[in-house]
Amino acid sequence: MNLFRAVLFSFLFITSFNLYSHNPEDFVIAEIERGQMNFENEQIAAEYGAALKRQRARRLAAMPFYKKFYIFVKAGFQHIIPEGIDHILFVLGLFFSCITFRSLLWQVTAFTVAHSITLVLAAQGLVQLRGDIVEAIIALSIVWVAVENCLFKEPSKWRYMIVFAFGLLHGLGFAALLTQYGLPKDNFISMLLAFNLGVEFGQLAVLVIAFVLIKMIMKKNWYSNEIKIPASLIIAGIGLFWFIERVF
Amino acid sequence: MSKNPIFTSQFKTYKMRKLIFISALLIIVSCQQQSEMDPNINPFFQEWNTPHEVPPFLDIKDEHYMPAYEKGMEENLSEIDVIVNNPEEPTFSNTIEELERTGKLLSKVGRVFSNLASSNTNPQLQELQRELSPMLSAHYDKISLNEGLFNRVESLWQDRENLGLTSEQLKLLEDTRKQFVRSGALMSEEQKKQISEINSKISGLSTSFGQNLLAETNGFELILNKSDLEGLSDGVVAAALDAASQKMDKAESEEEKEKYKNKYVFTPHRSSMYPFLTESTRRDLREKLYKSYVMRGDNGNETDNKEIAAKIAKLRAERAKIMGYKTHAHFVLEENMLKTPEEVYDLLVKLWEPAVKRAKVEVADMQAVANAEGQNFEIAAWDWWHYSEKVRKEKYDLDESAIKPYLSLDNVLQGVFNTTNKLWGLNFTELFDIDLYHPDARVWQVTDKDGSHLGIFIGDYFTRSNKRGGAWMSSFKGQSNLDGRERPIVVNVCNFPAPVGDNPALLSFDNVVTLFHEFGHAMHGTLTNVTYGSMAGTSGPRDFIELPSQLLEHWASEPEVLKSFATHYETGESIPDALIDKLLNASKFNQGFINTEYLAASLLDMDWHTISAEEDLKDANKFESESMRKVGLIDEIAPRYRSTYFAHIFSGGYSSGYYSYVHAAVLDSDAFEAFKEAGDVFDPNLSSKLRSTIYSKGSTEEAMDLFVQFRGRKAEIGPLLKVRGLDGAE
Repeated sequence: MNLFRAVLFSFLFITSFNLYSHNPEDFVIAEIERGQMNFENEQIAAEYGAALKRQRARRLAAMPFYKKFYIFVKAGFQHIIPEGIDHILFVLGLFFSCITFRSLLWQVTAFTVAHSITLVLAAQGLVQLRGDIVEAIIALSIVWVAVENCLFKEPSKWRYMIVFAFGLLHGLGFAALLTQYGLPKDNFISMLLAFNLGVEFGQLAVLVIAFVLIKMIMKKNWYSNEIKIPASLIIAGIGLFWFIERVF
Repeated sequence: MSKNPIFTSQFKTYKMRKLIFISALLIIVSCQQQSEMDPNINPFFQEWNTPHEVPPFLDIKDEHYMPAYEKGMEENLSEIDVIVNNPEEPTFSNTIEELERTGKLLSKVGRVFSNLASSNTNPQLQELQRELSPMLSAHYDKISLNEGLFNRVESLWQDRENLGLTSEQLKLLEDTRKQFVRSGALMSEEQKKQISEINSKISGLSTSFGQNLLAETNGFELILNKSDLEGLSDGVVAAALDAASQKMDKAESEEEKEKYKNKYVFTPHRSSMYPFLTESTRRDLREKLYKSYVMRGDNGNETDNKEIAAKIAKLRAERAKIMGYKTHAHFVLEENMLKTPEEVYDLLVKLWEPAVKRAKVEVADMQAVANAEGQNFEIAAWDWWHYSEKVRKEKYDLDESAIKPYLSLDNVLQGVFNTTNKLWGLNFTELFDIDLYHPDARVWQVTDKDGSHLGIFIGDYFTRSNKRGGAWMSSFKGQSNLDGRERPIVVNVCNFPAPVGDNPALLSFDNVVTLFHEFGHAMHGTLTNVTYGSMAGTSGPRDFIELPSQLLEHWASEPEVLKSFATHYETGESIPDALIDKLLNASKFNQGFINTEYLAASLLDMDWHTISAEEDLKDANKFESESMRKVGLIDEIAPRYRSTYFAHIFSGGYSSGYYSYVHAAVLDSDAFEAFKEAGDVFDPNLSSKLRSTIYSKGSTEEAMDLFVQFRGRKAEIGPLLKVRGLDGAE
């Protein structure tokens, strides 16, 4: 228990630090917020947005490599915690489907490999899909894994394929955000990796926290009925709500 | 996750601990994050602990300005009262130096407001501007008409020889007194009354002049059918069609709407007229539009400006006489670098001959083109744009799009930084942790050759819809050594096109010259090193102020310098020599015309303002044509502004000052010639002399003396003639 607590604390520490610190080098991220200032005039707002992007590019270009790398890892992490609530739910959906660590590992790996592939392809402009379509299918993917959790005790054989396919879509979602940040031309590939690394850390954090909290009761016979299924239903419900919201 | 109700009681204590832990963390971190400014207090009423005292732009809100202005004015007046009511005898220190220390809050808010009202404005700021303008002029009147204050200054001035002042202090005393005197401090009540009557008459006439001019410019339109558009390019036609449809939208009756239906409209606004005069092959229509332009205010209708112009000139002469000056020009020039009308005339006349000579060559060139076309007419004023364009294409053609890839903003900035580094050893370090008023504004720390802090430079280069047009230099903080070493914060604002997407911003060569020009002003504001803030930087006379800026332009077009920074943004190649040659050659196009029309207007300005109060002015046209006949203006060229639409001098602040552009040009060309003579555009001796005279002295010495200290003599016009291709060398 002590070990778990230590792990949990360290993750919480990282997350809260990431959320609330305001170092000068964090401007890159902070500016995204400021970019959402309200302007009465659309043209001024558009000009402001373009200027923010230029400013980010300049600030990034002037930073040493390690700082840039750190910033992109952090951006990736923040895209899961706290901004990527839909990705969190998807990962939790995967989590609740498994009673063995091995099966979870395989699913998460399939998901990770898949979203890494599309993230790289989309960031390089090789793949493009309309943002609203991607967002809607992401919502649908959450519904799918959660519903499946309620129907099957163990993940089905073809589930890995489906998780992989959904991973491809989630990658497109990450890429859309990354283009907003603007990748520096000089270190394109390494910053892409850094961002992806951050996403993995975030994902891992979600799983570890969930694991720590649930581990004790996982083997109990009431786990499935009182925890797994209600949780999955809630996740499915939220996913469905998003899907409807995003489609209509 | 802690919101999830599913977690059962066995985790409760654990959850509590977690919550406490997180809350503690949050509190610690959010305390660290707090800004140093107190959000509940107006930022203008707080110390700015920002890096280099850059204004805390993110904390300043629109509603902070007015209270700060009001308190600033109040404080300013009570500070003045303290000086005036000081029971001690006036001394330089308790009067003049104390005066320097007044108005700090007013300048703190004023600098931020006036900058942002131009470079990043909004409807609230514009409204504030309208409210503030009369408040501020009333405020400054209270100071300049304060008798008690003037008496202290005057008694010091009377005793100036015995005060043991440094030359800088003496000049400050003299300048301060002069300001009071020029506002009427020495006049009798009767004279003050007369002056104020004349001022209000002039102000009313100036307003009418401007309104008439607007009405006259809007009052003429050339409405054309599709068959009248011969020669016009698609863009010009589209603009004319657009103008017609706008007129249609505004039309009140069906009949009026019908007038513009499927028509094309051109007007005497320059943006509409110049493209038409350049492209149209219809000589009759060119004549019609051109005449509508030069006849503005001269149509004998109710918006005629002839009488108003003459009246204004006459009133100014009368005012000058009351104030003890021979003419209005004498009154104005006293403050300038050229001190008398004689000096100004001498300069203008010297330039006149070569300009007109060159213009005549240009007429001959155009005539040759017309003859070769088989035309059977003599080139007239309305043919100038059309045929000069043909000459330009033949002899001076320059493809802007071929040059732009060599002129990315970052390269040009590096170029201007390197130029000042080679001249004066300055270094520029971009700062990324300072928030400005807009993300396109960038900020650099300027350090001297010994590494010491010299100033802060802000560059705000791209056009946007809440920025005023044009390009300018201003400052957010002045320089002074009175109470410790205070270094300035200067800003350059331009309107270059913003880059598209991820591409770099590419400038035209005109943009590059503008950037160097404004940067020259910025260096004048940064290298300044004087004791008293009111004499720092760009505080000198108008014809001197343009010298540091126009001088720096010369380095931009110096092939050695141009080659060092103009590298292709994709290939990294240096700009080819052939392109540089074309670029420099193009700058000599049409200079006979440009200089002749400008000098004619300058001479007209001087003539109007050297009349005596007794002069019998009946007819402005007669006055003007006599004035132009005297110097020998050719028929093919009109003055840049004829009297009836010379708004600079009759409704703006340029009376007997229109010459100053060319005077500054003579000075900068001659100053740069010193470097050419030395055979090194970065000659170390000249560079350091340039800094110690022209760029760092502010207005602590007479501007002409500063120039002579640098050049060893007064300026000569030869170098300017060469730069502009007026030296007869073809």
